[in-house]
Amino acid sequence: MKHVIIGVGAAGVAAAKTIRNLRPDDEIVCISTDREVHSRCMLHHYISGGRSLESLNFAPDGLFESPRLTWLGGVTVKRIDAAAGLVHTDSGGPVSYGRLLIATGAVSAVPPVGALRTAKNVFGLRDIADAKAIAQAASGGRRAVVVGAGFVGLDAACGLLELGGKVTVVGTADSVLPQQLDEHAAAVYQARFEAHGCAFRLGAGASGTESDPAGKVTAVLLGSGERLPCDFVVAATGVRPAVDWVRESGIEAERAVKVDEGMRTSAPDVYAAGDVTGLSGIWPNAVKQGEVAARNMCGQSAVYDDTYALKNTVNFYGLQTLSVGNLAPAGNDLVLTREDNARYEKLVIRDGVVKGVLLQGDIGNSGFWQYLIKNKIDVSGHLDNIWRLSYTRFYGLEENGEYRYAAAATV
Amino acid sequence: MKRIFIDPGKCDGCMNCSLACMNAHRAAPVPGTAPDPGATVEEQSVYTLDLTDPTNEARNFIHADGKGGYLPLFCRHCARPECVSSCMSGALQRDQAAGQVRYDPEKCAACFMCVMNCPYGLPKPDQLTRSKVVKCDFCVRLAAGPSCVRACPTGALWIEEVAADTPDLEDVK
Ligand SMILES: Cc1cc2nc3c(=O)[nH]c(=O)nc-3n(C[C@H](O)[C@H](O)[C@H](O)COP(=O)(O)OP(=O)(O)OC[C@H]3O[C@@H](n4cnc5c(N)ncnc54)[C@H](O)[C@@H]3O)c2cc1C
Ligand code: SF4
Ligand code: SF4
Repeated sequence: MKHVIIGVGAAGVAAAKTIRNLRPDDEIVCISTDREVHSRCMLHHYISGGRSLESLNFAPDGLFESPRLTWLGGVTVKRIDAAAGLVHTDSGGPVSYGRLLIATGAVSAVPPVGALRTAKNVFGLRDIADAKAIAQAASGGRRAVVVGAGFVGLDAACGLLELGGKVTVVGTADSVLPQQLDEHAAAVYQARFEAHGCAFRLGAGASGTESDPAGKVTAVLLGSGERLPCDFVVAATGVRPAVDWVRESGIEAERAVKVDEGMRTSAPDVYAAGDVTGLSGIWPNAVKQGEVAARNMCGQSAVYDDTYALKNTVNFYGLQTLSVGNLAPAGNDLVLTREDNARYEKLVIRDGVVKGVLLQGDIGNSGFWQYLIKNKIDVSGHLDNIWRLSYTRFYGLEENGEYRYAAAATV
Repeated sequence: MKRIFIDPGKCDGCMNCSLACMNAHRAAPVPGTAPDPGATVEEQSVYTLDLTDPTNEARNFIHADGKGGYLPLFCRHCARPECVSSCMSGALQRDQAAGQVRYDPEKCAACFMCVMNCPYGLPKPDQLTRSKVVKCDFCVRLAAGPSCVRACPTGALWIEEVAADTPDLEDVK
């Protein structure tokens, strides 16, 4: 069997690794616009100069050197001919496949505000080309406006600040990382960024731009009426699945490629995994989807069932936060918080089930919370000792020595 | 592959396993003595272990079960490790043949997605720098194998050979 994988991001590499393990004799061809395998989540470390391009490579050692695996780097897929089982690219002849995986991720979505979409000095942050462009634009301590105070925006700001740049972050919400943090936890990060020289304009988004005759944005205008002069802009305003050419290939896709629970698309033998499916926008889920697709490409019957994606960890300036679930309480939700000089912690509990957890300052040994939340485990029997909860309250051993969650009542 | 097996019924909560783990992973030579270049990790006596040195952290945890017994928490080196699926730097990889989940601190980007993703809550950021992950490494550097097992006086911990993968990873076709 010949497997073709488009994309060498989280999902593509996970799939290649899985197929290599399950079917050592099968042929694998990876095709990617990326010339280097690199983790998107580490791009800010590249911008800051903290990590080299090589050290952004997250693939298992030796995977791309393994026999019967070919990697066409710097090659972009233009069209799939599912009837003929062919992939057409921008260089070289068509590539035939027995099974095909679309793992093309997402692209930066820039809003039609002023010249943000068209100006040459406005950059998204999605891949190494973006990171290189940003690092170059920033050289010499130039002024950046980062539009977007979510994860990617703060990553960009953090990298730029370490480079010595002057950075202003603009966000529509009243606090940073509004999807991950409550206002209290967000304020702690904001203060740390400010202590490192970052300025914030929150609660009013970008409403326009000013450009010079050469078409470069020279200032970002805010809804508040303020004008922020700048040398370049990072648009961290969200992403959209990279589906344009997929749709044109006759594979069912709207905002994202449509897949069933086995990651199969509407075309026979064509699978999709990762951000391109729109099912999630985070690393662990892209990996899981890549694994499920790969196992099905190898003839197993795997299902993507661990779909929970409201989870993240944050680590800036030596402060770690874990955020899982929904932190906005409703109705009669029980909200518990505690804090000291190094920690802030919050739990939202509804009818005995944990809906959200936020741990800031000390996140060690806290992985069980995600399990409790996504599996809706009843913790009402543990409320008197909830801060000391751990997996041991659900302790169970399999015959092969692995753990399982025992006697856990699901609501 | 080998796995550390646990019989919680035999655990007395003595925490010799945790001390042995700290001793096996201590970086500093014995405080107040000249480092003995010839001494292997195994020869460093637990009596010279500095319990207050934050770099000497245990990778295993013993919890009281609230009924007078104890529940040992040890990384299972899972066949389908959630920590590995969440690792965006490649620092965590499962060695298929050995059945062990290995950690490369050089590759780690300190994102701590692995801390969030282990269903049993085993990994943690290191106490001192919070820039590395503290997780069981099966004492791969030591010929004698996991130190915790050797230190357990009650037989609550032992090593057993198990099938390399769970059945659902096997080919169905
Ligand atoms: C700055 C930043 C920070 C992030 N931080 C985190 C974090 O802390 N935690 C977290 O969980 N997630 C984070 N994410 C999200 C995470 O990186 C993504 O969810 C993940 O990379 C998705 O994997 P993927 O394989 O679907 O796509 P990607 O990793 O984006 O890979 C897409 C691949 O497809 C290739 N490709 C695209 N189109 C074509 C084409 N037409 N032809 C050939 N090849 C093509 C690309 O070259 C690339 O190799 C972050 C993302 C960014 C941008
Ligand atoms: S850290 Fe957790 S998920 Fe990873 S191998 Fe150990 S027990 Fe399994
Ligand atoms: S903290 Fe390190 S080992 Fe853990 S997921 Fe992040 S990069 Fe991987």
